[in-house]
Amino acid sequence: MVETRDPKEQVLALAAGRDATQLDLSAAEGYLLSRIDGTTPWRLLREIGGIPAAEVDACLARWIEDGILDVVGTGAARAKRETPSAEGERSEREASSTKRPQAAESAAVDAAESFSPPPIDESALDAKLELSLDVQRRILEFEASLSRPYHALLGIEQGAPPKAVKRAYFKLSKEFHPDRYFRKNIGSYGVRLDRIFKKVLEAHEILSDPELCKVENSTPPPSAPPPSAPAMDAASAGPAEDRPGAAGPKKARPLTKLERLQQRMPFKINHAAIADRRARAEEIFRAAQSSQQAGRLQEAEASIRIAISFDPGRTEFKEALGSLRIAATGARASKLLAAPSERMSDGELREALTLLEDVLPYRPHDPGLNERAAQVCFRLGKLDAALEYAETLLERNPEQAAAHTLVGRIYKDRGDAEKALRAFERALKYDENDLDARRALASLRIGAHDAARGGVS
Amino acid sequence: MSRVIGIDLGTTNSCVSVVENGQATVIPNSGGYKTTPSMFGISQDGKRLVGHLAKRQAITNARNTVFAAKRLIGRRFDDPEVQKSIDLCPYEIVRGPNEDPRIKIGGKTFTCPEISGIILREMKRVAEEYLSETVQEAVITVPAYFNDTQRQCTKDAGKIAGLEVLRIINEPTAAALSYGMNRKGDEKIAVYDLGGGTFDISILEMSDGVIEVLATSGNTFLGGEDFDRRIVQHLVEWFEETEGMDLRGDTMALQRLKDASEKAKCDLSMRDAVEINLPFIASDSEGPRHLNYELTREKLESLVYDVVEGTLKSVEQCCVDAGVQAQDIDQVVLVGGQTRMPLVQSRVTEYFGKRPHKGVNPDEVVGLGAAVQAAALLDNDNDMLLLDVTPLSLGIGTYGGHFARLIERNTTVPVSKGHIFTTTRDDQSAVKIRVLQGESDLAAENDLLGEFVLSGIRPAPKGEPEIEVSFDIDANGIVSVSARDLATGKEQSITVSSTGTLSDTEIDEIIQEHDLYEVQLKD
Repeated sequence: MVETRDPKEQVLALAAGRDATQLDLSAAEGYLLSRIDGTTPWRLLREIGGIPAAEVDACLARWIEDGILDVVGTGAARAKRETPSAEGERSEREASSTKRPQAAESAAVDAAESFSPPPIDESALDAKLELSLDVQRRILEFEASLSRPYHALLGIEQGAPPKAVKRAYFKLSKEFHPDRYFRKNIGSYGVRLDRIFKKVLEAHEILSDPELCKVENSTPPPSAPPPSAPAMDAASAGPAEDRPGAAGPKKARPLTKLERLQQRMPFKINHAAIADRRARAEEIFRAAQSSQQAGRLQEAEASIRIAISFDPGRTEFKEALGSLRIAATGARASKLLAAPSERMSDGELREALTLLEDVLPYRPHDPGLNERAAQVCFRLGKLDAALEYAETLLERNPEQAAAHTLVGRIYKDRGDAEKALRAFERALKYDENDLDARRALASLRIGAHDAARGGVS
Repeated sequence: MSRVIGIDLGTTNSCVSVVENGQATVIPNSGGYKTTPSMFGISQDGKRLVGHLAKRQAITNARNTVFAAKRLIGRRFDDPEVQKSIDLCPYEIVRGPNEDPRIKIGGKTFTCPEISGIILREMKRVAEEYLSETVQEAVITVPAYFNDTQRQCTKDAGKIAGLEVLRIINEPTAAALSYGMNRKGDEKIAVYDLGGGTFDISILEMSDGVIEVLATSGNTFLGGEDFDRRIVQHLVEWFEETEGMDLRGDTMALQRLKDASEKAKCDLSMRDAVEINLPFIASDSEGPRHLNYELTREKLESLVYDVVEGTLKSVEQCCVDAGVQAQDIDQVVLVGGQTRMPLVQSRVTEYFGKRPHKGVNPDEVVGLGAAVQAAALLDNDNDMLLLDVTPLSLGIGTYGGHFARLIERNTTVPVSKGHIFTTTRDDQSAVKIRVLQGESDLAAENDLLGEFVLSGIRPAPKGEPEIEVSFDIDANGIVSVSARDLATGKEQSITVSSTGTLSDTEIDEIIQEHDLYEVQLKD
């Protein structure tokens, strides 16, 4: 290969509307023209026996000039920066595609038009990186061809079995997952790997889901959108959205966007799995209910907990667990919770409190439970906790006199006479017959009066 | 280059491992033990004790000895789990300035990352002694259900210990990595992890050194402690029947029952019957009463049978999520002390139709896996690759207080996903994007990671503007979110940095203080 500057990689085809039979050609020229089929590159045409390479060049150049031939395929853009290394690069690419015969095959079947080995940006190669030039080339090439259909991307046949999809996905993961180059100095390749892996992941996700796969197969491959169209593509110049618009008068633009969205399946919810999970939760919950009715409370409780873990959103499950825990502690609990706290022993009070604390997380606003907890805590001298429960109760029932009385007592025990006074007054405001509050208020006032008098004398 | 260790920072015990010559090895501490108690204490004369030394004096110095700090890390003080610990733990737990729980022992208040940091520092020391070189980097494991804050706090703990944390990985995943090392074939693995307080099941697929998490599920309400509770309950009922005394209100008696139950449960893994002997459990007017009961394995199994069945229901769900049948599973790996129970082993065997993998020690397998991941990242000869997943769903809050999930939990990272959203009012000119993390369908029940406003939307009837919201998670788990108005091309984005309960300056101060302390010790 001497004439490295010549665009010998160009692929030529008869220009549209030209009729070869109308041309005035010599036998050799006719033979040459018959070999021009839209896939054979210029380089191979020169090797046709019987015509000297120089003549082939001259002939082809003339035909291009006359508009008889068009340059198709890899195009002039590639030819322009043809460098000595391109020869090696191409043969390497050929080697790599023979390593993946299915890829080449399916690409040929499905995307003969859109997939020709993409040009790579040679200037991105950097020998200083901790990444061999071969690997760099492989990454650049793969990145440049990310817009291939998913199966071509994974190098498998369309409709390949899940096992093949998975194997290809694992193989590419091993090649392109960013963790493979953890902490290595790989410059811009970090971003490229990230982009490639995400695309491979997407391909795997869609191809291994039969439903998404159907959508994917029924929509024609997108007409070569820019690599990784998603907006997250930070490295690509300009908003991805502008490109289809700028690309020309494409009527199907809204459809393209829809297609793109379908392709990306951005918001995939496995409704079937969720529904299944909910149904199971429901089923387990019903089983729990029948266990409960049959008196197998432990079993019921375990089942409800499982139901909750399957469908954490259902508040009724949590409520059921709460009431079950009340039920589970049975007659004893109702006795403990019903008996006037004044007559309970310390041990009983403590047990009642444990029960309440067990149940309250499931019914944090239950007025009865909060009232009970406030009273029990008060009896046990846990004034802070008592106050908290009493206040929760008042949030719900702000006009419950008894609760205000209780708050008053708590403050009184804490030695805050003023707040106690106000609480008792409030209690009387809502229920003027609240004897407890009346008495407490009177004693407080007398106390205050005495103190005042004591202070004077 | 110095070596990277893997640490299983456990609730009760921790374990450190390293990969040497292509083999993952557990590093024993100077006492020859392969695991070190996750305990820290301050003795009466002000000495700081970690690990076995702390455990040894725990009974006599209970108020100044911290255990199970992992239950508290990264939680808020008001969290029910923290409140439960306050009741159960002999050491003092106080409300910190950032609404975080802090631990007060020996007259000093410690944050939870600090306590975990002290344990990690001990593990680092164990490794350095063994390797005879300094260690600066580690992979640490956490339970699969840990949220962002808990993970970040664990990272902070590593920082405090003087370790750079390369990755935080899930415990079941680590177990699978440890199993998968040096194995080549295609296999589907189930990791059944029954620990003290929780149950986790993960199904993973492995092929030629690549490991992918297919599904994880579990039950944070269910664990070894439920087994203990069942025994206690049974003993209380039995005592009431035979002696006519109710022990339910007696905290002291209950604590003794709990300890005895736990021990009996462990012993019954090896024996057919044990005697539970608790003299002077209670007393009344007739004098002291003693509890003496023979618990058989059979009885224990009948008490906890439904708990074990409960775990299998989660396993079944996990199989459905992973799209596999129980018989497709090639290998079952057991993790957690509770899996030593014969009933658990036999039910798991029956369920999967094959015996669990024998080659791994349930106490060590997680730590080993952490070391394998460290080697996979940094060792050129190591050919393993973990396709790790995001632990919690990510999405945004939408109209009506709903949560729109853009990235489901257990999605392989790095990943980007997007979706089109629109306005809810006519001529709405701005939208607020609230980035949330969690599993609830209600926005309010999930954690807010960050928020931003996209303004300058062209006036249009509601529902017409198209706003594309994209989520991106990189290989290190860093999340960035952007929103773009498709009509104007206007874009706004944020990178969500997860925060622990400590600020950077606080961490630096703690590190400095501990460095000072380190010097004091060596004097």
